[in-house]
Amino acid sequence: MLNLLLLLDIVPGPANAATPVPETPQGPWMGFAYFGFCAVLAVVGAIATVASPNPIRGAMGLLLMIISIAGLFLALHAQFIAAIQVIVYAGAIVVLFLFVIMLLGSDAQTPSDQRGRIPRFGAAALFAGLGLAALTLLGRTMAKPKLPGDVGSDFGSIDSIGKVLFTDMLVPFEISSALLIVAVVGAIAVARGKHGELAEKGALNK
Amino acid sequence: MDSLLSVFPSKDFSLLGIILAAPLLGAFVNGVWGRRLGRDAVRLMAITAIAVSFGAALLTFLALDREVTHAGHGHVKLAWTAWDWLYTTGKSETQIPIALRFSVDALSGVMMLVITGVGLLIHIYASTYMWDDKSYWRFFCYLNLFVFSMLVLVLGDNMPLLFVGWEGVGLCSYLLIGFWYGKMANAAAGKKAFIANRIGDFGLICAMFLFVHYTGALDWNGIEAGSGSLVTVNEATQVHVWPIGGGQFTGFLKFLQPDSPITITAATAVGLALLLGATGKSAQIPLYVWLPDAMAGPTPVSALIHAATMVTAGIYLICRLNFVFVLAPGVMATVAVIGAATAFLAATIALVQNDIKKVLAYSTVSQLGFMFLGVGMGAFTAGFFHVFTHAFFKACLFLGAGSVIHGMHARIHDDDKAQDMRKMGGLRKYMPLTFWTFLISTAAIVGFPLTSGFFSKDEILFKTMTTELVHPDAERLGKKVTFVQSLWGARDPSHFYVPPAWLGTALYWVGIAAATMTAFYMSRVVILTFFGEFRGWKLGRPSQIDAHEAAAHDDAHGDDAHGDDDGEHHHEEDLTKPGYAPHESPRPMTIPLILLAVFAAFAGILNPGLLKHFGLPLPLEHWLEPLFEESVKVGVHAKEGAEHMELMCTAGAFGAFAVGVGLAYWVYVVQKGAPAKQWAEAAPKLYKLLLDKWRVDEAYEASVLSGVDALADTATSVDKGVVDGILARLTALLVAAFGTILRALQTGVVHVYAGMMVVGLAGLGWFFVMPHPDGHVVEKGSGDYSIVAAPGVGYGYIWAEDGAKKPEKEVFSGTAAFPLHVEPGNTKKVELKVRNAFGIVGTKTFEVTAPAKAAPAEVIEMGQNGHGS
Amino acid sequence: MIPVEYYVGLSAILFLIGGIGFLVRRNVLVALMSIEVMLNATNLALVAFNRQHAQVHTGQVLSFFVIAVAAAEAAVGLAIVLSFFRLKRTVRSDEADLLRN
Repeated sequence: MLNLLLLLDIVPGPANAATPVPETPQGPWMGFAYFGFCAVLAVVGAIATVASPNPIRGAMGLLLMIISIAGLFLALHAQFIAAIQVIVYAGAIVVLFLFVIMLLGSDAQTPSDQRGRIPRFGAAALFAGLGLAALTLLGRTMAKPKLPGDVGSDFGSIDSIGKVLFTDMLVPFEISSALLIVAVVGAIAVARGKHGELAEKGALNK
Repeated sequence: MDSLLSVFPSKDFSLLGIILAAPLLGAFVNGVWGRRLGRDAVRLMAITAIAVSFGAALLTFLALDREVTHAGHGHVKLAWTAWDWLYTTGKSETQIPIALRFSVDALSGVMMLVITGVGLLIHIYASTYMWDDKSYWRFFCYLNLFVFSMLVLVLGDNMPLLFVGWEGVGLCSYLLIGFWYGKMANAAAGKKAFIANRIGDFGLICAMFLFVHYTGALDWNGIEAGSGSLVTVNEATQVHVWPIGGGQFTGFLKFLQPDSPITITAATAVGLALLLGATGKSAQIPLYVWLPDAMAGPTPVSALIHAATMVTAGIYLICRLNFVFVLAPGVMATVAVIGAATAFLAATIALVQNDIKKVLAYSTVSQLGFMFLGVGMGAFTAGFFHVFTHAFFKACLFLGAGSVIHGMHARIHDDDKAQDMRKMGGLRKYMPLTFWTFLISTAAIVGFPLTSGFFSKDEILFKTMTTELVHPDAERLGKKVTFVQSLWGARDPSHFYVPPAWLGTALYWVGIAAATMTAFYMSRVVILTFFGEFRGWKLGRPSQIDAHEAAAHDDAHGDDAHGDDDGEHHHEEDLTKPGYAPHESPRPMTIPLILLAVFAAFAGILNPGLLKHFGLPLPLEHWLEPLFEESVKVGVHAKEGAEHMELMCTAGAFGAFAVGVGLAYWVYVVQKGAPAKQWAEAAPKLYKLLLDKWRVDEAYEASVLSGVDALADTATSVDKGVVDGILARLTALLVAAFGTILRALQTGVVHVYAGMMVVGLAGLGWFFVMPHPDGHVVEKGSGDYSIVAAPGVGYGYIWAEDGAKKPEKEVFSGTAAFPLHVEPGNTKKVELKVRNAFGIVGTKTFEVTAPAKAAPAEVIEMGQNGHGS
Repeated sequence: MIPVEYYVGLSAILFLIGGIGFLVRRNVLVALMSIEVMLNATNLALVAFNRQHAQVHTGQVLSFFVIAVAAAEAAVGLAIVLSFFRLKRTVRSDEADLLRN
């Protein structure tokens, strides 16, 4: 497996390798195939997420997209982010979504009707137009694609990201931990409802 | 002392910081935590703060004395710069520093000692006097803050810092006059004092502006150094009075334009502005009206602020800036005349008042008038000496009056009645300490020979009689004119005004008259209060039933809690029932009285003007000489044969004392007050007029206040009609209508909000998709121009000059700037094509016209369009 | 090697899908998931650009923070969904219109 990834220019060579891995003739093709595979899966996952009427399927589509993007991260020499992506997104966030969907049961799926169709689809059409404009711009520059240069052997590793996180980015890092704490406390406070409500229910149970 | 100076060098004498910080700390602690601390802690804090300040002030004074001795004879200053405060820009862009800098010299040293010393005694007195007040902590917070502000005023080394202290004492005065704000009258009195002082402050601020402009400095040394430029013969550099500021009246107002503008020297303008400030703070005509009303505050406040310290700030200011005042003899004469007139007017009012504190208040106004008379006639030392002695005897008199009121409060709870001298009498027997200290202070104020007041008042009157004011720059300036001429005749700026020689003599006799009246009314106060029979209530053992009530009141009596409006209504006692006689005040109140009386009796030894012939030294005169020497030398001349007039003047002053006291004795003791009644009945209108204080308040009410009221009414109606009625309602209506429309958009549905966000986003996207051909023309001179196109993401440009061949293939490779040469008078057209990253092209045509003469190029934008590529 | 533009294009497509999903769907759960899709698209762009400028790790670190914020957002968002469901017995976003007018 590692060998394959090496061929795909996904993982840098062994730490003691003095020179970058030579590009094999079939390398670009392998790389494009890998990218295309992941990209198609990601788009399919995304469409499944937003389009499926059943939220469970949506969550599964989200999972598919997340894992495909993690694969793309690997191709981009971002091993640490790829790992985080799988652990946090696939492992925590999607599971959280699933929990909530299970909790709501059949109520999680909402019946569709035509109310508010004009603003919804109008806005979506405008947004799609904007996206098309952006893609057009991208397409006009695609003629001269920029090939990324070589990277150092430790680019994107846990080591180097960790160094940045705990030196230059220490303050944002600490603030993000505070943010998570606040989010957890806030989530609990919002989800459990008012004290009176609980006490009332308790009284009713008795 | 040398060791002290080694710790605190004279250039960085930070001990001043301790003098200032201690009362400020006291005010802070008492103000913030006082309510919780309890009375004992508040008292300890307040008195300790002032005691520390007094101790540091004593050390400072000793150090100053040592420095003076070291330096020989000269103006010595101990200074401390706390920090650089701010800078202001003077004439021709000079930076004038205003440092937070404090200094102490001979003058401020004496003031500092008086403030902290008398302040300490009055704090001790008040700690008992105010004991039962529920706002004890608030009182001492204000009182400490007052001492701090007064010290800032005195120790400040520049005008703005003095102004800070000046405003600080004004604030504290306002807060303390209205201390029992529950009573409407007290609150009104506080407001009156505050507003009268604000009018004076206007003068002080104007003086600061003039100092910045003319002397280019605001600190004392700088003002003194630059004071030469305050007097000029050049009309352009003088202060234009009419037209104000040297303007020109044109058009139909032309008739207002005089042939030559009326100008006064800057020294006169500054002097008048400072005088306005001084009359406000020191309660002189025309702004004296607030001081009698200020007696609504607690008695210790009257003693400290409205007798001993704050009201002398005006005299301090004039003494401090004596070198400015002597440059304008006309202003000096005005000071003296105002002082004499105030002394006389206030004395006439004091003759007939029945409220003991009111008499003392008018007496204070009158004595302040004496001080103004002294400094106005160039007798700075004498005037300041009167400040010094007056601080002791008037503080003692007020505290004595407080003690009497304290005693009367045993059974009379109404404020006005407890202070009414007609209810007193015979208190000598019941309050012996109060009586003796009061008597000694009265002796001082009426000029009983060899008491402090005798020496100081005698010195003022003697100097008034024997000096004349001259212009220091007489030789340089040219011709002198009389007063009338100076107003209407010669407007030649090189002419100057000098007061006539008879001014001093005339003012002397006014002063003698005021002194006679002073002797009379002060003797009247003593006789009515302490002699004869007690008239307050029936004396004797209270009956069994009343004893209970009396005991109940014994707890509350002396609380001075009259204005303490806690909803409790003081029911009046039946004064015909017998009750215990008033009794002497407790020791913390009598000890300050005794100390002040001692000073009132013996402080004259510091400057016994008359006794110098017997070989006694004049320490105060010698001490203050370096400050006033120069000014007195140039601005004041002794008349011919002045030495010989000394005995005559003293005889006059003594005569005033003898006549006044003798008359009072005859009227109120021998004849039992009968002549007073006869006189009042003989001239009822005059009596009523005096009793109503010359109806000055009513006159102000009718003239100034009604004018202001009318203005306020007009403004109110405009505000209600135009601003509220039209403007406010119209805008409100507009907003409401707009809101009604917008409310429809607020559906509460998240999707609609998100859709609106997308609409905004689309607008932004449109902006980026469309090219923006735009630019501006930069003139390079001599017919060269450059058109600079606005930048944008991925923009490419093509420039085409009018008439130039269009290239076969459009290549958007041009630079953002296009150089252009246009001959004068010609016009050239340039077309700009812009292509953005989306490949959309926009066009714009510039037309550049070079003017025949040197004028900015005219650019006409011909039109603009965009088309897809 | 694959040009960065490919990744950016994919990112734009994913963002577009997520955005349209957010605008069209009225199920709050799906709307939240659409937001996650959009955040992922952003992360992809960030990491791809970081590959272009490989001297520093700014893009990767920023995407790390985006993931942290996304986790917080999901936690609070789902709590709000639960609370909302308790109130209205539904997860349709157009039922939440207490702030109307």
